[in-house]
Amino acid sequence: MCFKWVAAEGELRVDPATRAVDASSARRKISDYDRNTIEAARVAAGSIGSELVGLTFGGPDARTGIKDALARGVDRAVHVVADEGARADGHVTAHVLAAQVRRLEDVDLVLCTEGASDTYAHETGPRLGELLGWPVVTNVRELTVEGRTLRAVRVLGADLETVECDLPALVTVVPEVAPAPIPGLRSVLGAAKKPSEQVPVADLGLPAGAVTARTTVTSFLGYVAARRRVVLADGAAQDKVDALVAGLAQDGVLR
Amino acid sequence: MTGIYVFSEDPRLAAELATTAAALADEVHVVCLGADASRTLTATGATSVVVLEAAGAPRPEAYVAALAGLMRDRGADLLLVGATVTGWEVGARVAALLDSALVSEASVITALPDGAWQAERVMYAGGAVQTETWSGPGVVTVAPGRAVAAAVPGSASPVEVVAVDVDTRVRVVSRTARVRSGVDLASAARVVCVGMGLAEPGDLALAGDLADALDAEVACTRPVAEDRGLLPTERYIGISGAHVHPDLYVGLGVSGQVQHTVGFRDAKVVVGINTNPAAPLFAVCDYAVVGDAHEIVPLLAAAVRARH
Ligand SMILES: Cc1cc2nc3c(=O)[nH]c(=O)nc-3n(C[C@H](O)[C@H](O)[C@H](O)COP(=O)(O)OP(=O)(O)OC[C@H]3O[C@@H](n4cnc5c(N)ncnc54)[C@H](O)[C@@H]3O)c2cc1C
Repeated sequence: MCFKWVAAEGELRVDPATRAVDASSARRKISDYDRNTIEAARVAAGSIGSELVGLTFGGPDARTGIKDALARGVDRAVHVVADEGARADGHVTAHVLAAQVRRLEDVDLVLCTEGASDTYAHETGPRLGELLGWPVVTNVRELTVEGRTLRAVRVLGADLETVECDLPALVTVVPEVAPAPIPGLRSVLGAAKKPSEQVPVADLGLPAGAVTARTTVTSFLGYVAARRRVVLADGAAQDKVDALVAGLAQDGVLR
Repeated sequence: MTGIYVFSEDPRLAAELATTAAALADEVHVVCLGADASRTLTATGATSVVVLEAAGAPRPEAYVAALAGLMRDRGADLLLVGATVTGWEVGARVAALLDSALVSEASVITALPDGAWQAERVMYAGGAVQTETWSGPGVVTVAPGRAVAAAVPGSASPVEVVAVDVDTRVRVVSRTARVRSGVDLASAARVVCVGMGLAEPGDLALAGDLADALDAEVACTRPVAEDRGLLPTERYIGISGAHVHPDLYVGLGVSGQVQHTVGFRDAKVVVGINTNPAAPLFAVCDYAVVGDAHEIVPLLAAAVRARH
Protein backbone atom coordinates (compact mmCIF):
# COMPACT_ATOMS: atom_id res chain seq x y z
CA MET A 1 0.00 0.00 0.00
CA CYS A 2 1.16 3.54 -0.68
CA PHE A 3 0.92 6.34 1.84
CA LYS A 4 1.88 9.99 1.90
CA TRP A 5 3.54 12.08 4.60
CA VAL A 6 1.90 15.51 4.54
CA ALA A 7 1.65 18.76 6.47
CA ALA A 8 -1.40 19.04 8.73
CA GLU A 9 -3.72 21.32 6.76
CA GLY A 10 -5.18 22.86 9.93
CA GLU A 11 -1.74 24.11 11.00
CA LEU A 12 -0.71 26.10 7.95
CA ARG A 13 -0.12 29.75 8.80
CA VAL A 14 -1.46 32.25 6.32
CA ASP A 15 -0.34 35.88 6.35
CA PRO A 16 -3.64 37.78 6.10
CA ALA A 17 -2.04 40.61 4.14
CA THR A 18 0.02 38.74 1.55
CA ARG A 19 -1.75 35.35 1.77
CA ALA A 20 1.71 33.75 1.92
CA VAL A 21 1.59 30.26 3.43
CA ASP A 22 4.03 29.11 6.08
CA ALA A 23 3.97 25.35 6.52
CA SER A 24 7.24 25.13 8.44
CA SER A 25 5.64 24.88 11.87
CA ALA A 26 2.77 22.64 10.80
CA ARG A 27 2.98 19.13 12.17
CA ARG A 28 3.45 16.33 9.65
CA LYS A 29 1.17 13.31 9.53
CA ILE A 30 0.23 10.32 7.43
CA SER A 31 -2.49 11.65 5.13
CA ASP A 32 -5.72 11.04 7.04
CA TYR A 33 -7.40 8.58 4.74
CA ASP A 34 -4.17 6.63 4.18
CA ARG A 35 -4.65 5.39 7.74
CA ASN A 36 -7.88 3.73 6.69
CA THR A 37 -6.09 2.34 3.65
CA ILE A 38 -3.37 0.78 5.83
CA GLU A 39 -6.05 -1.00 7.84
CA ALA A 40 -7.89 -2.22 4.72
CA ALA A 41 -4.60 -3.43 3.24
CA ARG A 42 -3.68 -5.17 6.49
CA VAL A 43 -6.96 -7.06 6.45
CA ALA A 44 -6.67 -7.90 2.73
CA ALA A 45 -3.07 -9.11 3.11
CA GLY A 46 -4.08 -11.23 6.11
CA SER A 47 -6.92 -12.83 4.17
CA ILE A 48 -4.54 -14.18 1.53
CA GLY A 49 -1.55 -14.78 3.81
CA SER A 50 0.56 -12.09 2.15
CA GLU A 51 3.10 -9.69 3.53
CA LEU A 52 2.00 -6.03 3.60
CA VAL A 53 4.61 -3.56 2.40
CA GLY A 54 4.05 0.14 3.10
CA LEU A 55 5.56 2.34 0.44
CA THR A 56 6.09 6.07 0.57
CA PHE A 57 7.89 8.60 -1.58
CA GLY A 58 8.87 11.74 0.25
CA GLY A 59 11.57 13.91 1.76
CA PRO A 60 13.86 12.72 4.58
CA ASP A 61 11.26 13.78 7.19
CA ALA A 62 8.89 11.05 5.98
CA ARG A 63 11.01 8.74 8.13
CA THR A 64 8.74 9.52 11.07
CA GLY A 65 5.80 8.43 8.95
CA ILE A 66 7.44 5.07 8.40
CA LYS A 67 7.32 4.36 12.14
CA ASP A 68 3.67 5.33 12.25
CA ALA A 69 2.82 3.09 9.28
CA LEU A 70 4.64 0.14 10.86
CA ALA A 71 2.70 0.71 14.09
CA ARG A 72 -0.53 0.82 12.13
CA GLY A 73 0.05 -2.62 10.68
CA VAL A 74 2.35 -2.69 7.67
CA ASP A 75 4.84 -5.57 7.98
CA ARG A 76 7.71 -3.79 6.27
CA ALA A 77 8.22 -0.29 4.92
CA VAL A 78 10.07 1.19 1.99
CA HIS A 79 10.78 4.91 1.90
CA VAL A 80 11.94 6.22 -1.44
CA VAL A 81 13.76 9.37 -0.43
CA ALA A 82 13.11 12.36 -2.63
CA ASP A 83 15.93 14.71 -3.55
CA GLU A 84 15.95 17.81 -1.40
CA GLY A 85 14.15 20.65 -3.10
CA ALA A 86 12.98 18.65 -6.13
CA ARG A 87 9.25 19.06 -6.72
CA ALA A 88 7.29 15.93 -7.49
CA ASP A 89 3.96 16.14 -9.28
CA GLY A 90 1.65 13.21 -9.98
CA HIS A 91 3.73 12.24 -13.01
CA VAL A 92 6.95 11.93 -10.99
CA THR A 93 5.31 10.27 -7.99
CA ALA A 94 3.65 7.60 -10.11
CA HIS A 95 6.91 6.83 -11.96
CA VAL A 96 8.83 6.53 -8.69
CA LEU A 97 6.22 4.34 -7.03
CA ALA A 98 5.92 2.14 -10.14
CA ALA A 99 9.69 1.64 -10.25
CA GLN A 100 9.76 0.66 -6.58
CA VAL A 101 6.76 -1.70 -6.92
CA ARG A 102 8.59 -3.43 -9.78
CA ARG A 103 11.64 -3.88 -7.53
CA LEU A 104 9.55 -5.70 -4.95
CA GLU A 105 8.90 -9.22 -6.04
CA ASP A 106 5.54 -10.93 -6.52
CA VAL A 107 3.29 -7.98 -5.78
CA ASP A 108 -0.37 -9.02 -6.20
CA LEU A 109 -2.20 -5.94 -5.12
CA VAL A 110 -1.38 -2.28 -4.58
CA LEU A 111 -3.76 -0.14 -2.55
CA CYS A 112 -3.74 3.65 -2.68
CA THR A 113 -6.19 6.11 -1.18
CA GLU A 114 -8.58 7.90 -3.55
CA GLY A 115 -6.85 11.19 -2.72
CA ALA A 116 -4.30 12.70 -0.34
CA SER A 117 -5.24 15.35 2.19
CA ASP A 118 -2.88 17.95 0.70
CA THR A 119 -3.47 17.58 -3.04
CA TYR A 120 -6.67 15.50 -3.19
CA ALA A 121 -6.03 15.10 -6.92
CA HIS A 122 -7.25 11.49 -7.31
CA GLU A 123 -4.26 11.04 -9.52
CA THR A 124 -1.48 8.90 -8.10
CA GLY A 125 -3.33 5.59 -7.83
CA PRO A 126 -4.72 5.41 -11.37
CA ARG A 127 -1.50 6.78 -12.87
CA LEU A 128 0.48 4.14 -10.99
CA GLY A 129 -1.83 1.34 -12.12
CA GLU A 130 -1.53 2.45 -15.72
CA LEU A 131 2.29 2.59 -15.55
CA LEU A 132 2.33 -0.92 -14.09
CA GLY A 133 -0.02 -2.04 -16.87
CA TRP A 134 -2.45 -3.49 -14.32
CA PRO A 135 -6.24 -3.34 -14.11
CA VAL A 136 -7.31 -0.29 -12.11
CA VAL A 137 -10.32 -0.19 -9.78
CA THR A 138 -11.01 3.15 -8.09
CA ASN A 139 -13.12 4.53 -5.24
CA VAL A 140 -13.63 1.20 -3.51
CA ARG A 141 -15.45 0.80 -0.20
CA GLU A 142 -15.38 -3.01 0.08
CA LEU A 143 -12.86 -5.47 -1.25
CA THR A 144 -12.20 -9.18 -1.04
CA VAL A 145 -9.63 -11.41 -2.69
CA GLU A 146 -10.38 -15.01 -3.51
CA GLY A 147 -7.71 -16.99 -5.27
CA ARG A 148 -6.49 -14.76 -8.07
CA THR A 149 -9.69 -12.73 -8.27
CA LEU A 150 -10.38 -9.35 -6.72
CA ARG A 151 -13.97 -8.34 -6.07
CA ALA A 152 -14.66 -4.74 -5.13
CA VAL A 153 -17.60 -2.43 -4.51
CA ARG A 154 -17.03 1.03 -5.96
CA VAL A 155 -18.82 4.19 -4.87
CA LEU A 156 -19.96 6.08 -7.97
CA GLY A 157 -21.95 9.04 -6.72
CA ALA A 158 -25.25 7.64 -5.55
CA ASP A 159 -24.55 4.24 -7.13
CA LEU A 160 -22.60 1.25 -5.92
CA GLU A 161 -20.87 -0.79 -8.61
CA THR A 162 -19.50 -4.25 -7.95
CA VAL A 163 -16.62 -5.26 -10.20
CA GLU A 164 -14.16 -8.12 -10.51
CA CYS A 165 -10.72 -8.45 -12.02
CA ASP A 166 -7.73 -10.72 -11.89
CA LEU A 167 -4.62 -9.96 -9.87
CA PRO A 168 -2.29 -8.18 -9.97
CA ALA A 169 -4.39 -5.05 -9.71
CA LEU A 170 -4.29 -1.50 -8.43
CA VAL A 171 -7.15 -0.42 -6.18
CA THR A 172 -7.90 3.00 -4.75
CA VAL A 173 -10.08 3.06 -1.66
CA VAL A 174 -12.34 5.55 0.08
CA PRO A 175 -11.98 5.93 3.87
CA GLU A 176 -15.20 4.02 4.54
CA VAL A 177 -13.33 0.86 3.45
CA ALA A 178 -12.05 0.34 7.01
CA PRO A 179 -11.80 2.17 10.32
CA ALA A 180 -8.41 3.65 11.25
CA PRO A 181 -7.76 2.48 14.80
CA ILE A 182 -5.17 4.39 16.84
CA PRO A 183 -2.25 2.02 17.35
CA GLY A 184 -1.88 0.70 20.88
CA LEU A 185 1.35 0.78 22.88
CA ARG A 186 2.23 -2.78 21.87
CA SER A 187 1.91 -1.97 18.19
CA VAL A 188 4.03 1.15 18.62
CA LEU A 189 6.77 -0.80 20.41
CA GLY A 190 6.49 -3.68 17.94
CA ALA A 191 7.01 -1.28 15.05
CA ALA A 192 10.61 -0.73 16.12
CA LYS A 193 11.38 -4.37 15.37
CA LYS A 194 9.88 -4.38 11.89
CA PRO A 195 12.17 -3.94 8.88
CA SER A 196 12.28 -0.75 6.88
CA GLU A 197 14.44 0.42 4.05
CA GLN A 198 15.38 3.80 2.61
CA VAL A 199 15.99 3.97 -1.11
CA PRO A 200 17.41 7.17 -2.65
CA VAL A 201 15.36 8.02 -5.70
CA ALA A 202 18.54 7.93 -7.81
CA ASP A 203 18.89 4.20 -7.08
CA LEU A 204 15.72 3.47 -9.03
CA GLY A 205 17.54 4.24 -12.30
CA LEU A 206 14.68 6.23 -13.76
CA PRO A 207 15.29 8.41 -16.84
CA ALA A 208 15.43 12.17 -16.20
CA GLY A 209 12.07 12.69 -17.91
CA ALA A 210 10.32 10.42 -15.43
CA VAL A 211 11.57 12.36 -12.42
CA THR A 212 11.05 15.84 -13.82
CA ALA A 213 7.74 17.43 -12.90
CA ARG A 214 5.49 18.13 -15.88
CA THR A 215 3.95 21.16 -14.20
CA THR A 216 5.55 24.20 -12.57
CA VAL A 217 3.97 25.90 -9.58
CA THR A 218 3.94 29.65 -10.17
CA SER A 219 1.87 30.72 -7.19
CA PHE A 220 0.64 29.30 -3.89
CA LEU A 221 -1.68 31.49 -1.84
CA GLY A 222 -3.50 30.73 1.38
CA TYR A 223 -7.18 31.24 1.92
CA VAL A 224 -8.24 33.95 4.34
CA ALA A 225 -11.84 33.84 5.52
CA ALA A 226 -13.53 37.23 5.75
CA ARG A 227 -16.14 36.49 8.40
CA ARG A 228 -17.41 38.61 11.28
CA ARG A 229 -16.92 36.04 14.06
CA VAL A 230 -19.49 37.40 16.48
CA VAL A 231 -19.06 35.08 19.48
CA LEU A 232 -22.18 34.26 21.50
CA ALA A 233 -20.71 32.34 24.41
CA ASP A 234 -22.02 33.89 27.60
CA GLY A 235 -25.38 34.01 29.29
CA ALA A 236 -28.43 31.81 29.10
CA ALA A 237 -29.13 29.77 25.97
CA GLN A 238 -32.23 31.86 25.28
CA ASP A 239 -30.17 35.08 25.32
CA LYS A 240 -27.71 33.68 22.80
CA VAL A 241 -30.54 32.56 20.57
CA ASP A 242 -32.25 35.95 20.77
CA ALA A 243 -29.02 37.72 19.87
CA LEU A 244 -28.47 35.35 16.96
CA VAL A 245 -31.97 35.76 15.56
CA ALA A 246 -31.73 39.55 15.85
CA GLY A 247 -28.44 39.46 13.93
CA LEU A 248 -29.78 37.16 11.23
CA ALA A 249 -32.88 39.30 10.81
CA GLN A 250 -30.71 42.38 10.40
CA ASP A 251 -28.57 40.52 7.83
CA GLY A 252 -31.77 39.81 5.91
CA VAL A 253 -31.18 36.07 5.64
CA LEU A 254 -34.35 34.87 7.35
CA ARG A 255 -37.32 34.39 5.11
CA MET B 1 -2.73 24.54 -32.17
CA THR B 2 -4.79 21.44 -32.89
CA GLY B 3 -7.57 22.23 -30.50
CA ILE B 4 -9.01 21.02 -27.28
CA TYR B 5 -10.64 17.65 -26.81
CA VAL B 6 -13.26 17.19 -24.11
CA PHE B 7 -14.55 13.96 -22.65
CA SER B 8 -17.12 12.94 -20.11
CA GLU B 9 -19.17 9.78 -19.78
CA ASP B 10 -22.00 12.12 -18.78
CA PRO B 11 -23.22 14.03 -21.88
CA ARG B 12 -24.51 16.95 -19.80
CA LEU B 13 -21.08 17.42 -18.27
CA ALA B 14 -19.46 17.03 -21.71
CA ALA B 15 -21.65 19.92 -22.91
CA GLU B 16 -20.42 22.05 -19.97
CA LEU B 17 -16.83 21.21 -20.86
CA ALA B 18 -17.51 22.30 -24.44
CA THR B 19 -18.36 25.77 -23.08
CA THR B 20 -15.16 25.89 -21.05
CA ALA B 21 -13.11 24.75 -24.04
CA ALA B 22 -14.74 27.19 -26.45
CA ALA B 23 -13.45 30.07 -24.33
CA LEU B 24 -9.90 28.72 -24.70
CA ALA B 25 -9.58 27.57 -28.32
CA ASP B 26 -11.26 27.94 -31.68
CA GLU B 27 -11.30 24.22 -32.27
CA VAL B 28 -13.22 22.04 -29.81
CA HIS B 29 -13.75 18.32 -30.29
CA VAL B 30 -16.18 16.49 -28.05
CA VAL B 31 -15.41 12.83 -27.48
CA CYS B 32 -18.29 10.63 -26.35
CA LEU B 33 -19.35 7.03 -26.01
CA GLY B 34 -22.36 5.91 -27.98
CA ALA B 35 -24.65 7.41 -30.58
CA ASP B 36 -27.19 8.65 -28.00
CA ALA B 37 -24.67 10.97 -26.41
CA SER B 38 -23.51 12.24 -29.79
CA ARG B 39 -27.04 13.38 -30.66
CA THR B 40 -27.17 15.89 -27.82
CA LEU B 41 -23.56 16.94 -28.24
CA THR B 42 -23.85 17.95 -31.91
CA ALA B 43 -25.88 20.93 -30.65
CA THR B 44 -23.00 22.38 -28.63
CA GLY B 45 -21.34 24.22 -31.51
CA ALA B 46 -18.29 21.94 -31.27
CA THR B 47 -15.99 21.64 -34.28
CA SER B 48 -16.68 17.92 -34.27
CA VAL B 49 -18.11 15.11 -32.19
CA VAL B 50 -16.05 11.93 -32.04
CA VAL B 51 -17.92 8.79 -31.02
CA LEU B 52 -15.76 5.99 -29.69
CA GLU B 53 -17.47 2.76 -30.61
CA ALA B 54 -16.81 -0.73 -29.29
CA ALA B 55 -18.76 -3.97 -29.22
CA GLY B 56 -20.94 -4.70 -26.20
CA ALA B 57 -21.54 -2.04 -23.62
CA PRO B 58 -18.14 -1.49 -22.05
CA ARG B 59 -17.74 0.64 -18.93
CA PRO B 60 -16.35 4.14 -19.67
CA GLU B 61 -13.06 3.29 -17.96
CA ALA B 62 -12.50 0.62 -20.64
CA TYR B 63 -11.87 3.35 -23.23
CA VAL B 64 -8.78 4.84 -21.55
CA ALA B 65 -6.21 3.51 -24.03
CA ALA B 66 -8.48 4.38 -26.96
CA LEU B 67 -8.86 7.95 -25.71
CA ALA B 68 -5.12 8.32 -25.14
CA GLY B 69 -4.50 6.93 -28.63
CA LEU B 70 -6.89 9.47 -30.13
CA MET B 71 -5.12 12.32 -28.31
CA ARG B 72 -1.76 11.13 -29.56
CA ASP B 73 -2.87 10.50 -33.16
CA ARG B 74 -4.52 13.89 -33.45
CA GLY B 75 -1.75 15.77 -31.67
CA ALA B 76 -4.28 17.23 -29.22
CA ASP B 77 -3.07 20.08 -27.03
CA LEU B 78 -5.37 19.58 -24.13
CA LEU B 79 -7.93 17.10 -22.90
CA LEU B 80 -10.64 18.34 -20.53
CA VAL B 81 -12.31 15.55 -18.57
CA GLY B 82 -15.40 15.88 -16.39
CA ALA B 83 -14.32 15.42 -12.76
CA THR B 84 -16.53 12.52 -11.71
CA VAL B 85 -15.20 9.37 -10.06
CA THR B 86 -14.93 7.86 -13.52
CA GLY B 87 -13.43 11.05 -14.95
CA TRP B 88 -10.75 11.23 -12.26
CA GLU B 89 -9.65 7.73 -13.22
CA VAL B 90 -9.88 8.27 -16.97
CA GLY B 91 -8.01 11.59 -16.79
CA ALA B 92 -5.17 10.25 -14.65
CA ARG B 93 -4.71 7.10 -16.72
CA VAL B 94 -4.73 9.01 -20.00
CA ALA B 95 -2.14 11.39 -18.52
CA ALA B 96 0.00 8.39 -17.55
CA LEU B 97 -0.23 6.94 -21.06
CA LEU B 98 0.66 10.31 -22.61
CA ASP B 99 3.31 10.91 -19.94
CA SER B 100 1.75 14.33 -19.60
CA ALA B 101 0.79 16.93 -17.03
CA LEU B 102 -2.50 16.59 -15.16
CA VAL B 103 -4.30 19.27 -13.21
CA SER B 104 -7.14 17.90 -11.15
CA GLU B 105 -10.32 19.94 -10.69
CA ALA B 106 -9.01 23.17 -12.11
CA SER B 107 -11.07 26.25 -11.36
CA VAL B 108 -9.46 28.63 -13.85
CA ILE B 109 -7.74 27.54 -17.06
CA THR B 110 -5.78 30.01 -19.19
CA ALA B 111 -4.09 29.67 -22.56
CA LEU B 112 -0.83 31.61 -22.21
CA PRO B 113 0.46 33.65 -25.18
CA ASP B 114 3.51 31.40 -25.67
CA GLY B 115 1.37 28.31 -26.20
CA ALA B 116 1.76 27.13 -22.62
CA TRP B 117 -1.16 26.56 -20.28
CA GLN B 118 -1.98 27.68 -16.79
CA ALA B 119 -4.54 26.37 -14.32
CA GLU B 120 -5.55 27.07 -10.74
CA ARG B 121 -6.67 24.49 -8.23
CA VAL B 122 -7.24 24.29 -4.51
CA MET B 123 -4.75 22.57 -2.21
CA TYR B 124 -5.16 21.41 1.37
CA ALA B 125 -8.85 20.96 0.67
CA GLY B 126 -9.29 24.67 0.17
CA GLY B 127 -6.64 25.99 2.55
CA ALA B 128 -4.70 27.35 -0.42
CA VAL B 129 -4.89 27.99 -4.15
CA GLN B 130 -2.08 26.77 -6.38
CA THR B 131 -1.35 28.02 -9.89
CA GLU B 132 0.45 25.62 -12.20
CA THR B 133 1.79 26.03 -15.72
CA TRP B 134 2.91 23.51 -18.30
CA SER B 135 3.67 23.26 -21.97
CA GLY B 136 3.00 20.33 -24.22
CA PRO B 137 0.00 18.07 -23.96
CA GLY B 138 -1.96 18.06 -20.76
CA VAL B 139 -5.07 16.70 -19.10
CA VAL B 140 -7.29 18.85 -16.90
CA THR B 141 -10.31 17.65 -14.99
CA VAL B 142 -13.16 20.09 -14.40
CA ALA B 143 -15.91 19.67 -11.82
CA PRO B 144 -19.59 19.70 -12.80
CA GLY B 145 -21.36 23.04 -12.55
CA ARG B 146 -18.36 25.17 -13.50
CA ALA B 147 -19.92 26.25 -16.79
CA VAL B 148 -23.32 26.40 -18.44
CA ALA B 149 -23.79 23.59 -20.96
CA ALA B 150 -23.10 24.83 -24.48
CA ALA B 151 -26.14 25.00 -26.73
CA VAL B 152 -25.71 26.74 -30.07
CA PRO B 153 -28.99 27.18 -31.96
CA GLY B 154 -28.86 25.47 -35.32
CA SER B 155 -25.53 23.83 -34.56
CA ALA B 156 -25.00 20.40 -36.09
CA SER B 157 -21.40 19.41 -35.49
CA PRO B 158 -20.09 16.72 -37.83
CA VAL B 159 -20.03 13.31 -36.16
CA GLU B 160 -17.17 10.93 -36.65
CA VAL B 161 -17.45 7.36 -35.44
CA VAL B 162 -14.17 5.68 -34.53
CA ALA B 163 -14.12 1.95 -33.86
CA VAL B 164 -11.77 1.21 -30.97
CA ASP B 165 -10.51 -1.65 -28.83
CA VAL B 166 -11.46 -1.60 -25.17
CA ASP B 167 -9.90 -2.98 -22.01
CA THR B 168 -12.20 -5.65 -20.59
CA ARG B 169 -10.04 -6.73 -17.65
CA VAL B 170 -12.34 -5.13 -15.09
CA ARG B 171 -15.79 -6.76 -15.25
CA VAL B 172 -18.96 -5.19 -13.87
CA VAL B 173 -20.89 -7.68 -11.75
CA SER B 174 -23.75 -5.41 -10.69
CA ARG B 175 -24.75 -1.82 -10.14
CA THR B 176 -27.25 -0.65 -7.55
CA ALA B 177 -28.56 2.77 -6.59
CA ARG B 178 -28.19 3.97 -3.03
CA VAL B 179 -31.00 6.00 -1.50
CA ARG B 180 -31.36 9.22 -3.43
CA SER B 181 -33.06 12.22 -1.97
CA GLY B 182 -33.24 14.09 -5.25
CA VAL B 183 -32.24 17.23 -3.38
CA ASP B 184 -30.45 20.07 -5.10
CA LEU B 185 -28.41 21.61 -2.32
CA ALA B 186 -26.56 23.86 -4.76
CA SER B 187 -29.63 26.04 -5.22
CA ALA B 188 -30.82 26.06 -1.59
CA ALA B 189 -31.25 29.53 -0.05
CA ARG B 190 -30.74 28.24 3.50
CA VAL B 191 -28.97 25.14 4.74
CA VAL B 192 -29.02 23.45 8.16
CA CYS B 193 -26.00 21.17 8.36
CA VAL B 194 -25.87 18.20 10.73
CA GLY B 195 -22.44 17.25 12.06
CA MET B 196 -21.28 14.33 14.16
CA GLY B 197 -22.03 16.35 17.29
CA LEU B 198 -25.74 15.99 16.55
CA ALA B 199 -25.84 12.65 14.81
CA GLU B 200 -27.69 10.28 17.07
CA PRO B 201 -30.76 8.98 15.24
CA GLY B 202 -33.15 11.00 17.44
CA ASP B 203 -31.20 14.20 16.73
CA LEU B 204 -32.25 14.34 13.10
CA ALA B 205 -35.73 15.41 14.14
CA LEU B 206 -34.23 18.46 15.89
CA ALA B 207 -32.33 19.47 12.77
CA GLY B 208 -35.36 18.76 10.60
CA ASP B 209 -37.53 20.97 12.76
CA LEU B 210 -35.06 23.87 12.59
CA ALA B 211 -34.83 23.43 8.82
CA ASP B 212 -38.60 23.56 8.67
CA ALA B 213 -38.72 26.78 10.70
CA LEU B 214 -36.05 28.39 8.52
CA ASP B 215 -37.37 26.96 5.25
CA ALA B 216 -33.95 25.40 4.80
CA GLU B 217 -32.59 22.18 3.31
CA VAL B 218 -31.00 19.64 5.65
CA ALA B 219 -27.39 18.89 4.79
CA CYS B 220 -24.62 17.10 6.69
CA THR B 221 -20.93 16.42 6.98
CA ARG B 222 -19.34 13.48 5.25
CA PRO B 223 -19.15 11.10 8.24
CA VAL B 224 -22.85 11.65 8.98
CA ALA B 225 -23.65 10.29 5.52
CA GLU B 226 -20.81 7.91 4.76
CA ASP B 227 -20.09 6.44 8.21
CA ARG B 228 -23.43 6.71 9.96
CA GLY B 229 -25.61 6.46 6.87
CA LEU B 230 -28.00 8.87 8.59
CA LEU B 231 -28.62 10.97 5.49
CA PRO B 232 -28.19 10.25 1.76
CA THR B 233 -24.73 10.96 0.38
CA GLU B 234 -25.96 13.77 -1.91
CA ARG B 235 -26.60 15.73 1.26
CA TYR B 236 -23.06 16.03 2.46
CA ILE B 237 -21.18 19.25 1.86
CA GLY B 238 -17.48 19.56 1.17
CA ILE B 239 -14.62 18.98 -1.14
CA SER B 240 -15.80 15.48 -1.98
CA GLY B 241 -19.48 16.35 -1.68
CA ALA B 242 -21.85 19.19 -2.55
CA HIS B 243 -20.83 22.82 -2.94
CA VAL B 244 -23.51 25.20 -1.71
CA HIS B 245 -24.06 28.95 -2.07
CA PRO B 246 -26.85 29.76 0.38
CA ASP B 247 -27.75 33.02 2.11
CA LEU B 248 -27.51 31.16 5.40
CA TYR B 249 -25.54 28.10 6.56
CA VAL B 250 -26.15 26.83 10.10
CA GLY B 251 -23.74 24.12 11.29
CA LEU B 252 -24.95 21.99 14.21
CA GLY B 253 -22.22 19.99 15.94
CA VAL B 254 -19.91 20.54 12.98
CA SER B 255 -16.19 20.80 13.86
CA GLY B 256 -15.34 22.77 10.72
CA GLN B 257 -12.46 20.91 9.09
CA VAL B 258 -11.47 22.64 5.90
CA GLN B 259 -12.55 19.66 3.75
CA HIS B 260 -16.07 20.47 4.87
CA THR B 261 -16.01 24.27 5.09
CA VAL B 262 -14.65 24.70 1.56
CA GLY B 263 -18.08 23.52 0.39
CA PHE B 264 -19.93 26.58 1.71
CA ARG B 265 -17.34 29.29 1.33
CA ASP B 266 -19.68 31.39 -0.78
CA ALA B 267 -22.44 31.41 1.84
CA LYS B 268 -23.57 34.92 2.72
CA VAL B 269 -23.88 34.27 6.47
CA VAL B 270 -22.41 31.35 8.42
CA VAL B 271 -23.60 30.27 11.87
CA GLY B 272 -21.93 27.61 14.00
CA ILE B 273 -23.41 25.95 17.07
CA ASN B 274 -20.82 23.92 18.92
CA THR B 275 -20.00 23.01 22.53
CA ASN B 276 -16.30 23.53 21.91
CA PRO B 277 -15.31 27.22 21.88
CA ALA B 278 -12.14 26.27 20.00
CA ALA B 279 -13.98 24.47 17.16
CA PRO B 280 -12.31 25.40 13.84
CA LEU B 281 -15.75 26.22 12.43
CA PHE B 282 -15.84 29.28 14.65
CA ALA B 283 -12.89 30.75 12.74
CA VAL B 284 -14.94 30.80 9.53
CA CYS B 285 -18.25 31.89 11.10
CA ASP B 286 -20.24 35.10 11.24
CA TYR B 287 -21.99 33.93 14.42
CA ALA B 288 -20.33 31.46 16.77
CA VAL B 289 -22.84 30.12 19.26
CA VAL B 290 -21.04 28.23 22.01
CA GLY B 291 -23.47 25.72 23.45
CA ASP B 292 -25.12 22.34 23.26
CA ALA B 293 -27.03 21.93 20.03
CA HIS B 294 -29.64 19.83 21.81
CA GLU B 295 -30.51 22.88 23.87
CA ILE B 296 -29.93 25.67 21.33
CA VAL B 297 -31.63 24.17 18.27
CA PRO B 298 -35.20 23.91 19.66
CA LEU B 299 -34.93 27.42 21.10
CA LEU B 300 -33.70 28.73 17.77
CA ALA B 301 -36.50 27.02 15.85
CA ALA B 302 -39.05 28.54 18.24
CA ALA B 303 -37.50 32.01 18.02
CA VAL B 304 -37.52 31.90 14.22
CA ARG B 305 -41.16 30.76 14.18
CA ALA B 306 -42.07 33.54 16.61
CA ARG B 307 -41.10 36.06 13.94
CA HIS B 308 -43.47 34.67 11.32
C1 LIG C 1 -9.33 14.04 1.71
C2 LIG C 1 -10.48 14.34 2.62
C3 LIG C 1 -11.72 14.71 2.08
C4 LIG C 1 -12.80 15.01 2.93
N1 LIG C 1 -13.97 15.43 2.38
C5 LIG C 1 -14.97 15.83 3.20
C6 LIG C 1 -16.18 16.41 2.67
O1 LIG C 1 -16.35 16.55 1.47
N2 LIG C 1 -17.14 16.78 3.54
C7 LIG C 1 -17.00 16.66 4.91
O2 LIG C 1 -17.92 17.04 5.64
N3 LIG C 1 -15.89 16.11 5.43
C8 LIG C 1 -14.87 15.70 4.60
N4 LIG C 1 -13.74 15.17 5.15
C9 LIG C 1 -13.74 14.90 6.60
C10 LIG C 1 -13.41 16.13 7.41
O3 LIG C 1 -12.02 16.26 7.51
C11 LIG C 1 -13.96 16.00 8.84
O4 LIG C 1 -13.50 14.80 9.39
C12 LIG C 1 -15.48 16.00 8.89
O5 LIG C 1 -16.02 17.07 8.16
C13 LIG C 1 -15.89 16.13 10.34
O6 LIG C 1 -17.27 16.01 10.44
P1 LIG C 1 -18.03 16.59 11.70
O7 LIG C 1 -17.71 18.01 11.87
O8 LIG C 1 -19.45 16.21 11.52
O9 LIG C 1 -17.49 15.67 12.89
P2 LIG C 1 -16.43 15.95 14.04
O10 LIG C 1 -15.16 16.45 13.50
O11 LIG C 1 -16.43 14.72 14.85
O12 LIG C 1 -17.05 17.14 14.89
C14 LIG C 1 -18.12 17.04 15.73
C15 LIG C 1 -18.27 18.37 16.44
O13 LIG C 1 -19.43 18.37 17.20
C16 LIG C 1 -19.21 19.08 18.39
N5 LIG C 1 -20.22 18.63 19.35
C17 LIG C 1 -20.28 17.44 20.00
N6 LIG C 1 -21.41 17.38 20.74
C18 LIG C 1 -22.07 18.52 20.53
C19 LIG C 1 -23.31 19.05 21.00
N7 LIG C 1 -24.09 18.35 21.83
N8 LIG C 1 -23.68 20.27 20.57
C20 LIG C 1 -22.91 21.01 19.74
N9 LIG C 1 -21.74 20.55 19.26
C21 LIG C 1 -21.33 19.33 19.65
C22 LIG C 1 -17.80 18.77 18.77
O14 LIG C 1 -17.26 19.78 19.59
C23 LIG C 1 -17.13 18.71 17.39
O15 LIG C 1 -16.60 19.98 17.05
C24 LIG C 1 -12.64 14.89 4.33
C25 LIG C 1 -11.41 14.50 4.87
C26 LIG C 1 -10.34 14.25 4.04
C27 LIG C 1 -9.02 13.85 4.66
